[in-house]
Amino acid sequence: MRLGIVRGHVTLHPAVTAYRGRTLAVLEPVTMENLRAGNGLGGGKSLVAVDELGAADGQMVAFTEGREAANPFWPGAVPVDAYCALIVDCINIHAETVS
Amino acid sequence: MFLARIGGTVVAAAKHSTLEGCRFLLAQRLEADQSMGVEPIVVVDWLGAGSGSIVLVSTDGDIARAKLGNTTPARMVVVGILDSVQSQESARQE
Repeated sequence: MRLGIVRGHVTLHPAVTAYRGRTLAVLEPVTMENLRAGNGLGGGKSLVAVDELGAADGQMVAFTEGREAANPFWPGAVPVDAYCALIVDCINIHAETVS
Repeated sequence: MFLARIGGTVVAAAKHSTLEGCRFLLAQRLEADQSMGVEPIVVVDWLGAGSGSIVLVSTDGDIARAKLGNTTPARMVVVGILDSVQSQESARQE
């Protein structure tokens, strides 16, 4: 999983049936440099991920990509390739702690 | 699969129900030239890797599905803790 900061949400109309009722979050992946700095910046190329945890704007999440992103919808066939698996509370980097 | 250095731990405020009780570690991918990846990754660990350990990470979710069920989104899993690496560079040094 990579880390990303929620920068917004996407609404689709129309969309494939499998996306009905799903929350789509716009994520900005976080680089190690920005994570260490704790500056709230991301630095990666943004992407859209399905979020069932209810992450708010500015919160950090860990998202999974690829085939495993669709696993939560198994055995259904949902065209998802990015999924928010965790909302991060805090990260302890060696001696330092980043919230 | 790739090698990564464990740099810390991740505490989750909320998580997918299949991930309850899992240990999440912050890691950085190691490249052949000893440099580290720009983006950190979060890996699931059942082997007890500590901070500073170099681990082998599998990006196949099969082991996670076997342990956590078919609906788990877990993908990157620590499948081994590095003991040693033999490379041309290390052979030259010997």
